[in-house]
Amino acid sequence: MMPQPSTRSAPVSFQQESIGRPSALHQLSIALLLFSMAASAWADTPILRVLAWPGYAEPELVKRFEQEHQVRVELTIITTDASLWEKASEHNQGIDVFAVNAAELQRYINANLVQPLIPEKIPNTHRQLTRFRDLSAIPGLTRHGKSYGIPYTYSQMGLIYDKKQIDTPPKSISSLWDPRYRKKVIAYDGGTHNFSLAAQSLKFASPFRISPKDFPRATEKLIALRRNALAFYTQPEESVQLFMRHGAALMFANYGMQQVQLLRNAGMDIGYVIPREGALAWLDCWVISRDSRNTELAHAWINHMLEPLAGQLLAEHQGLNNTLSDQTEGQTDELSVWLEPPEETALREKLWERIRSGDRLVRVLAP
Amino acid sequence: MNFPIAWRLGSVLVLVGFLGTALTGYFAYQASRTQLIKASEDRLLTATHVLMRQVTVALKSVESDVRLISQHPQAVRILLRSNPSFQTLTEENLAKIFEGMLVVHPEYFQLRLIEAGNHGLERIRLDRGMGRLLRIQGDDLQEKGHYPYIFETLKLPPGAIYVSHATINHEIGAHAGEHRPSLQVAAPIHDKRNKAIGLVVINVDLHGLFSQLAADLPPELKLYLANGRGDYLIHPDPSHSFAFDRGQESLVQDEFPSTTAMLRAGQTGTLSIVTASPPTSPEALVAAFVSQSIPGMESGDAFILGLSQPLQNVLSESRQLASVILGIVLSFSALAVLLAIVLARAFSRPLSRIVEEIRRFSAEGKIGSLPVARRDEIGELAHSIQQMEKQIHQQIEELQTQQETLDHLASHDSLTGLPNRRMFLDRLEHALARAKRQGEKLLLLFIDLDKFKTINDVHGHAAGDAVLQAVAQRLLSLLRESDTAARLGGDEFVILLEGEWDDRMIEQMVQKVRAALASPIAYQDIELQSGGSIGFSRFPQDGNTASHLIATADQAMYGDKPRDC
Repeated sequence: MMPQPSTRSAPVSFQQESIGRPSALHQLSIALLLFSMAASAWADTPILRVLAWPGYAEPELVKRFEQEHQVRVELTIITTDASLWEKASEHNQGIDVFAVNAAELQRYINANLVQPLIPEKIPNTHRQLTRFRDLSAIPGLTRHGKSYGIPYTYSQMGLIYDKKQIDTPPKSISSLWDPRYRKKVIAYDGGTHNFSLAAQSLKFASPFRISPKDFPRATEKLIALRRNALAFYTQPEESVQLFMRHGAALMFANYGMQQVQLLRNAGMDIGYVIPREGALAWLDCWVISRDSRNTELAHAWINHMLEPLAGQLLAEHQGLNNTLSDQTEGQTDELSVWLEPPEETALREKLWERIRSGDRLVRVLAP
Repeated sequence: MNFPIAWRLGSVLVLVGFLGTALTGYFAYQASRTQLIKASEDRLLTATHVLMRQVTVALKSVESDVRLISQHPQAVRILLRSNPSFQTLTEENLAKIFEGMLVVHPEYFQLRLIEAGNHGLERIRLDRGMGRLLRIQGDDLQEKGHYPYIFETLKLPPGAIYVSHATINHEIGAHAGEHRPSLQVAAPIHDKRNKAIGLVVINVDLHGLFSQLAADLPPELKLYLANGRGDYLIHPDPSHSFAFDRGQESLVQDEFPSTTAMLRAGQTGTLSIVTASPPTSPEALVAAFVSQSIPGMESGDAFILGLSQPLQNVLSESRQLASVILGIVLSFSALAVLLAIVLARAFSRPLSRIVEEIRRFSAEGKIGSLPVARRDEIGELAHSIQQMEKQIHQQIEELQTQQETLDHLASHDSLTGLPNRRMFLDRLEHALARAKRQGEKLLLLFIDLDKFKTINDVHGHAAGDAVLQAVAQRLLSLLRESDTAARLGGDEFVILLEGEWDDRMIEQMVQKVRAALASPIAYQDIELQSGGSIGFSRFPQDGNTASHLIATADQAMYGDKPRDC
């Protein structure tokens, strides 16, 4: 499971028509006329179908691409990994290019939902930082020497703390369990990530490879987290509301800098740290769907997304990193623990559901 | 074209009649359609208000239930563990009370007593399960301290009530309420030092509550429920309900844009709005929405309750009206056609009669009967035409008379009234032609007056004229109808006689003429003595042309003249 900025959908608006007045028909007919004119003007224009997470393809970027390539972009906003998987696997022909998390990409390659990229067609990769250019060095992006994804944005999941309540920045992920912050901790409501956190706190070998015998300990650890936490959130806005309303001291920033930006915009004096165990980090990549009808244009789109403007918008509007330049405080790539597919997503989610529901250890571990 | 004016007039009348009724019908239809929509909007709004009142009442009843338990002494005793020996019994008693409440209120999913300590551990819990009530005990009791309905409620003062956002309950083990739309209503329990030691929570089946309240509504009315943000909680199409729970978005303000104002206006008190769905939706709807803030509701959230009705249903009445109006329009149009025909005929009939009369007048010159008796413009027209016809008729008669006079003057001698030379020659030619064709005979007498010059000289020209006139009268008196006497000029006269004349008859005729000329002519006080010389010629014996006959008779006349003349 992949945390993502979400819930904001593409703005939808339609003219309200009051029914029962002759003018409604009149206006409708004009609207239809305009629509048919626009439609006929667009009929011959190539269409690029893009699936992107909120904030990834801002209107300014889309408009510029449409002008430069004389095409129309049909943008669909996705908000969950599940819905992206569903769309890519069931309506592959309706998609040209989409953004997916590097840890998830292998699933898509296995299911033959994406196609290898042609690097020559994406010259802007030379603008990227060196560590994002060697695709084979990034787990999950290549298969049999072929590249399938181009890194676009990434984020670490660090700790946010209230500077008024905490003088020295917390150093370890274990601060989430610190009894000093009892009922002042806000954590994320997601099983896969939370088990990784527990594994980090328990100093397991890998946060993504919890052995069956270690699960009871990890479970117990998460019950302890539940008891220490005030509440769990799923949306960035929700986390900010909880943090401010209840005077929380510490928060696990599942959405990374996006939450930092939201809190700072709300006037909070907060700090953001990467724990010494390393921060879980995700990397989203652009990929081309297997059945894309216009791979030329899809490559052009990815190239367009590596222009400086795209990176600038990501940083300024979303608080997200781009792959063109190094940004912002407190982020140390050496401390990034890039997400990997966990040993068993379903088990983690099942156990977490029980923990979140308030079951005690006996019940959580029950078959 | 037979009746161009009638046609044109009739068409205009038909058009005016049809337009009049059609426009009246159209505007009547529009007005009544608007009124119908308005009336149904009012009805919907009233129904929505009533429903919202019922919702408020129902929530109030939940609140009083939760408050009742929170103030129950046994609840405090259980949380304080004040009497360990009776703890189990007290818990049994409270569980019984919970059970009773769940039986009475089918819209309650769950009723719980939760302690503030032990991470919000449930103490007494009754769930609605598969068709029966379940008492949850032992290890199955859960720690709920990290849920907002716990930590928010524990912050409340005694007597206050917490009402949660409407959510899908994803708490595992909630039995009937699991993954169902729920509302948590909770009240804190305080000890004697006003410290919150626990709380009572009722999980309300949101769907059950509303469908129970909406059960009495007519089936064509559809229920909508949204939270203060506009997220649908209940929608006729279930895929729109709780879309936010699935990471999607389905908002009332997107489907009914006019509710945006309601969402913006803040959630104080009751607001209402009536709207029609955008024409983009497959079926147009008339909908009414009422917004109501719920006291005690988390962060001032509000409910937006709406009822909709297909516009088609509302307009079915107006369709009936439309057919009635169409009938009226058609029958009045038919009437207009009839009326137009009658009127056009009434107008064109006298006109065409006048036209006919004018045609006949110009063809036959007769003045026919015109509709002069009418006392309108047509009567006036007919009258004027009649006047004109009379005038024309009179002028034609005068012209004919003048023509006859002119003809007479051209062919007759003005003094004596006898045919002149020209006419005589004409008649002679005709008679000759006829005589030649039929083998008849003619006799021509040539007369020249004696002493005429003397009379003129002695008694004046007037006397001469009197002589000539008298001679002419006497000659005419001698002749038959078929004979012709003419004055050739001066004192010369000529007579043409048709038929068989032997010498004796000729002699007798000459004698008669001579006697007539010889008798004195009275002129003023004197008697004038004239007399004449007579010569004759016969056809065919003496010539067969006019000039020949006249010349022969003239010659003969000179032979008869006395020496002194």
